[in-house]
Formats: sequence, structure tokens, C-alpha cells
Amino acid sequence: MNNTAREDILGSIRSHLATSAPYDKQEVSRGFARMNADQNPSSSVEICGQFKESLEAVDGHCVIVQGDEGIAGALTQIIRGGRVAISDNPDVERLLHLTDLEIDELGIAPDAHDIFRFDVGISSVQAAIAETGTLVLDSTRERHRFVSLVPPVHIAIVRASQIYRTLGEVLTLIRKDKEISPAVTFITGPSRTADIELTLAIGVHGPQELYVIVDEVN
Amino acid sequence: MNHLSSETFGENAKAALADSHLRGALKNATSLFGERRKAAAASLPNWEDLRSEARAIKDDVLSHLDRYLEEFVGNAESRGAKIHWARDAAEANSIICDLAAESNARIVVKSKSMTTEETHLNAALEAAGMQVVETDLGEYIIQLADEPPSHIIAPAIHKTRGQIAELFNAELGMPLTDDVARLTSTARATLRDRFAAADVGISGVNFAIAETGTIVIVENEGNIRLTTSLPRIHIAVMGIEKVLPRFADLDVFLKLLPRSGTGQRLTTYQSYITGTKRQAGDEGPEELHIVLLDNGRSRMLAHPVTRQSLACIRCGACLNACPVYQQVGGHAYGSVYPGPIGAVITPQLMGIEKSAQLPYASSLCGACREVCPVKIDIPRLLLHLRAEIAPRKGKLSERLAFKMWAQVMMRPSLYKMGAVVGRIVQRFVPVAKAWTNGRDLRPIESKSFHELWSDE
Amino acid sequence: MSGENYKIGNRQSAIGNFMKVSLFVTCLVDQLWTSVGVSSVEVLRRVGCEVEFDKRQTCCAQPAFNTGYLDEARPVARRFIEIFEESKADAIVSPSGSCTAMVHHYPQLFAGDPEWLPRAQAIAAKTYELSSFLVRVLKVEDVGASWQGRLTWHDACHGLRDLNLKTEPRTLIRNVRGAEFVELEHADACCGFGGTFSVKYPEISVAILDQKIDAIERAGVQAVVSGDASCLMQIGGRLSRKRSKVKVMHLAELLSHR
Repeated sequence: MNNTAREDILGSIRSHLATSAPYDKQEVSRGFARMNADQNPSSSVEICGQFKESLEAVDGHCVIVQGDEGIAGALTQIIRGGRVAISDNPDVERLLHLTDLEIDELGIAPDAHDIFRFDVGISSVQAAIAETGTLVLDSTRERHRFVSLVPPVHIAIVRASQIYRTLGEVLTLIRKDKEISPAVTFITGPSRTADIELTLAIGVHGPQELYVIVDEVN
Repeated sequence: MNHLSSETFGENAKAALADSHLRGALKNATSLFGERRKAAAASLPNWEDLRSEARAIKDDVLSHLDRYLEEFVGNAESRGAKIHWARDAAEANSIICDLAAESNARIVVKSKSMTTEETHLNAALEAAGMQVVETDLGEYIIQLADEPPSHIIAPAIHKTRGQIAELFNAELGMPLTDDVARLTSTARATLRDRFAAADVGISGVNFAIAETGTIVIVENEGNIRLTTSLPRIHIAVMGIEKVLPRFADLDVFLKLLPRSGTGQRLTTYQSYITGTKRQAGDEGPEELHIVLLDNGRSRMLAHPVTRQSLACIRCGACLNACPVYQQVGGHAYGSVYPGPIGAVITPQLMGIEKSAQLPYASSLCGACREVCPVKIDIPRLLLHLRAEIAPRKGKLSERLAFKMWAQVMMRPSLYKMGAVVGRIVQRFVPVAKAWTNGRDLRPIESKSFHELWSDE
Repeated sequence: MSGENYKIGNRQSAIGNFMKVSLFVTCLVDQLWTSVGVSSVEVLRRVGCEVEFDKRQTCCAQPAFNTGYLDEARPVARRFIEIFEESKADAIVSPSGSCTAMVHHYPQLFAGDPEWLPRAQAIAAKTYELSSFLVRVLKVEDVGASWQGRLTWHDACHGLRDLNLKTEPRTLIRNVRGAEFVELEHADACCGFGGTFSVKYPEISVAILDQKIDAIERAGVQAVVSGDASCLMQIGGRLSRKRSKVKVMHLAELLSHR
């Protein structure tokens, strides 16, 4: 392909690093030490509560419920009919059917062309982070890449057992996979911008509203 | 597009100082950014440790950049990404235009990428017949206005909401309103169908992980997720210095970047993309192309002082802290990279021919170094560049003046005489109008301290 | 910083202690603000130092170094080193943060030079800015000064960021009898001087300066104090152009006031 460019660039890197060597010796060491920078003290704060607080701080909505009944109840509060797209996690469909909601259309993981007409997207998650109120979505484990992105409202269902305390723990979790997943997304609140006079506006290209239902007993 | 040139920085700056809309916008933006960054940094008791750690990681990467790049490339390729090496801007643009042409692309959606601004990619794509749509709100605004970005992370921050309202009214037919929520939702509605229609999505890269071949991109708006999920082809453009060694290193950088840039604990979205989809039916692009851009970066490795330029994670904190940027804004620098970091990388990337003024556009106050999350010693870099520029490009009168200065400072007799002469000259000659236009000048003492000491 | 490791014996109370100081007055003070030099000597003597002044001194080479003329800076720096090497003083003290910081940069100027690097390091290690010398070395916080009125402090950039001077000047000022100290908004914001920057980009320099002037006016003080004559020239020059009643005063002048 362009192997010449590759060799030129790598060669340029090597030769310029070699040029630097005598000057590197002259530099007084500044002692930028590698260390385990983050030793998070274990918190006694209850993890679901911490997640809720973190998410609400970034304008997400969070409701803590108990079990499938609780989830269904929350869905009934949030959804006002319309066209609903859900991920391909069978749990999500099952939970939706537990409600008595009348919806105009149900789409299961609609493709790129169809997804734009839906009003609400519902998915589960693969993990969540309490200290930041973050949802972790792995697109190989569930088809929710568009469902969680395109419709103006995203509802995410989280089980307490999926919530980790810190970002670092989740990064370790993702890295554990021998072959890391091709598409992992972290979501922290609804979409936003401050590009106009640094004034916050919620709801830009991603969802305008994010609802997270946390089942604290599972 | 009427790009200002860095060659005329002084004139550009004077014009900027006369623009009251701009000055108001800058004061608002830089002080808010500064307050938010400060509060976010203060919320982490180990902030200083994180900075040191981040710098240590970057120093390691840059000292072994060839090795880490090869590791990244090997891992990304094994997961289905196609890697393209671009020695300079022209080569990068040509690669990307060819990719777009090969796939018969007509519409290209872009998320914000300073690297593509650096190469002027949009102009190249348009010349090749492509419709290019900037989707980041700030980039969209400046695209409508046909202006270059004025800030590394908030490209339209030089515009007041009134100016944006007028722009949307003129270009989109939107009724005049400066309600930010309505302006934003207009942009959302207008751009929505572009995402669906686009054949190619082009993004930048915040971090490239050598250990796994993963590219990491952070944002608040969701346009990066749309750009990198919907179109069939995703092209990611990155400077070669964006590599980090390990996935775990993200823990450090994701703590520093959002806080330093916008004062957020985390941006709304982070996308971790490793190669292409596993199965044909999976959601996401069919092809992932990663363009590695040199364009002068490898040259910066040649000295420890310049090498640290490449540690930059493009947070923009130095811009907000800089007293010069606060007064004149980004356009005056005539470069995609303005402010303190721009003053040091622009001459290195573009050559000093046109950008020799930039390293002098600083009072060396050091506020930038204080806020840099990776501890780049920008004042030291500025001095390093000045030492390269002055002997070669300094005005003849200035070079002679300093040669004379050295002679005088070496000889106390000349030094004393200089003072005497100065006293006389000052009485008859309007000294240094550059000073006296705005400030009164302190007269030379009738007796120097040396002379007073002799009297004792 | 480089000076901290230099051992100069026990320090208790100021009066009665005998320490020898060589004054590095700086070319700016020498030519344009002699009272700063005179006051510095007075304060140092008052706290028990013997002060010598080597009349061969001229400049620390900062103007050439900062503008990028290293070939011109080096001989001037070497001369500085040679002159002060001959001194038997315990410390070299200067009423300027930026000039002191320049001397601390000498090792950078002579990096890789086997003869001059160690000599540069030795001189840098014993060169102090005045307030740093008083508070950190002599452990003196009250020099017996008095001054009536409301005043504020401007943090000169090199002193603040290169020499870490933040609490020392404030401590000394707070002990000035009769002085009402007011913390300036954005005290650590640059005044816009920056050496040749002030005349290469005068409009920008004044625009930055005006932020500082606004803050000073809002503080409602009679005087603004700083540790660098260059900043005071910049600030004072604008205050007088605007016919302000606010005076500028160097820390040494304040501390020598009775």
C-alpha cells in the first residue's frame, strides 16, 4: 500500500530520536514518576444511590426500583406511547410487555435507515459506573448502538449487580476480554453542548433525554 | 475563506483589540472555562500526581514512538482496521479523497478534528466533488460563517449568540432568536438527515491505544457517535503522537482531559473503537480506515524541549489561561492551533518562515504551564524557539542592538557612559513611542545606584 | 528551588545575626529606580546583614536571553558568574524576582558546558530574591516597618511561578504596622510587561495591563506593591497616564519605610 510512507515516517521518528540523545542526557531529570495515581478509598456510600446522584448531576433522570415489576412500573411512568425501538436483549422486550403501554410501533433493533422514525429507544447495559453516573454499552453483546443514540429519548435498564464504583474498574473489565470488543460506548447523561457562549444546551445530536431505571435488588 | 496569516500576527492582534464583540465574547468564554477548570481540578485531591503520571506516560511514548506506533498498527490491523501513513498534509488529504472516491461517496459527515483543520481536508474533499458537512455545533457554525476555528475545543467561541442568531437567520432562514436552546435544536434538526445520508464519516482521535489497537474519541454532542456508527465507511485521522501504551492509561487521561478542557468530570460520550465489526449483520461501519499523520511531528522528537510539544492532549486550558489569547482570541494567530500551544507548535509544524512572530506573542508569564495537564513547559519552549529565530530572522537593527548591548554590559565604563547618554537622549528624543503611547515613562535617575554607592 | 539546600548556619532572631550579603541590584533598579536598591540595603542591614556591593556588576543578561540572543547573553552571564564568584558573601540577594529567576536559568544557558555548568549551578544556588531571602533563609517575617494606608500586592510572574513566591511577600506585608492589606482580584494575573513584549506588542501589553488596572481601581487602595520594578514601571506608567491617585511601591521601599 503506502509502505514507503510508513518507512519514511518510522525512519524519521528513529533518526530524530537519535538526534535528541545527547540533549536528553543534559536535561536535569524532572522526576515525572509513574505511580498508581488513583487509589480510590473504598466508599461506604451505597452504590445505587451514588450512581443516581452522579447521573442527576449531569441532567440524567434516574429512578431506583425493585425487580421486574418495579422496572415495568417505571417504564409506564416514562413512556407516553409513540414508536418504541428496543435492543435485541430479550429481557427488554419481556419487561416492556409487562407494562400495559399502548405504543404505535415496536421495532427490535431497527437498522440505520429505520431507526430515525422512533421516539424512544430502550436498552439494557453491560455495566455502569457509580462515581460518574456512566452507562457502559458493548455493541457486540447487545444490539443497542442505534437504539441508544438516535431516538430523542433513551431509556436504559441497569441491574445493581452491573454497577462498578470507578472508571478504572470498568476499564480493567473491558480489557479482560482477550479480544477487546469492537465498539464500546460510555454514556454519561443526555447529549449537550456549550459551543454557544459557553451556555449549556441539553439535547444536541444524541438523545435529548436519558432515563436510567436501576433495579437495586438484582 | 479569509484566513488571517500568522505572518501578520501584530496587525491581526490590533484589529482584534478593536473588536468589542470579540473582546466581550473572549472575556466571557475564557473566564468561564478558567473557573470551571479550576473547580474541576480542585475536586481531585491527587490532581498534581495525575499530571505527573500523565507526563511520565507521554514521555515514555514519545521516547519510543516508533515502537508504540508499530504496536498500535499491528493490533489495529489484526482487528480489521486499514492503516494509512501520511507524511504530510497533502498526502493525508489525497489518501482520504481517494478513499471517498473509491466508495463513490457524495456526502461526507465530519466530527470535529483539529488534525483535519490542520491539513485543510474540507477544501480538498470539496475540490474532489464531495459535499462535506461539519456536524459539531461549533464547527457547523464556523462552516456556515466560512471562518476558521478560533479555539481548540470550542471553535465558535469568538461569536456572540447574537452573531450566531444572525448567521442562522441568513444561512438557514431561521427566524431571529438568540435563545441558545432553539439555535441548538435548529442545528440538530438541520443536520439529522445528513447523518443518515452520508456515505463516509470522518472523525479525529483523542487517544490510540497501542496494546489493543483501540481508538478513543470523546465528545458531548453525540455527533461523533453518529458519524462513526451510521455511514458505511469510517475514516479516523490522527497525529502520530496520539498513541498511549496501555488501555489502563486511559484512567489517567480521562480524568485530566474533560476537567482541563471544559471542567466536566467526564464528557457525555466516549467511543472505544477497535477494528471493524465481527459479523456482517452487526451495527456499525463496514470499513475502518485510520490515517496516521506526521506533517512535521517526527521532527519535534529531535530535542527534549521540543519533544514535549507532542505531549499535548488538545484540552485548550492554556488558551483560556493566556493573557494574550484572552485579549486577542484565536484568529489573530493565523493558525488552526492558537494560544500558547499554538505559538510553539505552529512554527514547528509549518516552519518559522511565516510564523516567526508567534513565539514572541507572549509575556512569558507561565500561566499556561500551570494549567497544562501534561506539564508542558511552554515558556521554555518559547525561549527555545526564540533562540532559533532571533539570530536567523531577527531584524538587523535588533541584532545589532543586542550586539551593542552585550558590549556595553561587558564593560562597566561603557555601562556608566550609557546611562549618562541615556539621560541626555531621553530629554530630547521621544523615546520608545511603543511604550509612551499608552504609558508614562519613568525618567532615568540623575544618579545611578552605582554612583550613590560610591558617595557613601 | 535551587537555593534551599545551601547551608548557612542557624537562624533565629534577626537582630544581632551577622551574615554577609552581596547585593545584585539589577540594571533596571540601578538606572531607573535607585530607591529600590537603597531600601533593599537598608532592610538587609536592619535585620543584621553586612551588605557589600560589587561595582563591576551590570546585567544578568535576561533581555538578550528572553529575546533569543543566546550568543550575546552568554558572555554577559559568564561575567556575572565571575564577578560574584569572587565574593565571600554567604548569599547574593536581589530585589527582583525576574532577575533572580534569570540567574537560576544559568544552568540551562550553559547546559553541556563542562566548565561553566557547575559554576553556573553554584552561583544560582546562592542567589535569592529579597523576600525569599528574608523569610525562608533568615526566617524574618517582621522587619520593623510601618506605613499608613490601604495597599495591595501584585504577584510578579517570575517570582510567583519560577521562584514559588506567594506567601513570603504577603507575610512581610502583613507585619507592616498601620498597613491595611487587601488581596487584589486576580493578583497572579500578568501585568503585560514581559520585557521586550511590552514594546514589540504594545497594544496587547496595554490591553492586558488594563485588566490589572481595573482590578487595582476596584480594590480602592492607596498603593500597589510588587517585588519587581519592571512590573511597577508597567503598572505605574499606566496609572499615571490615567491620572490615578494610586501609587506604586516596591516591596523593599515598603519594608524600609518607618
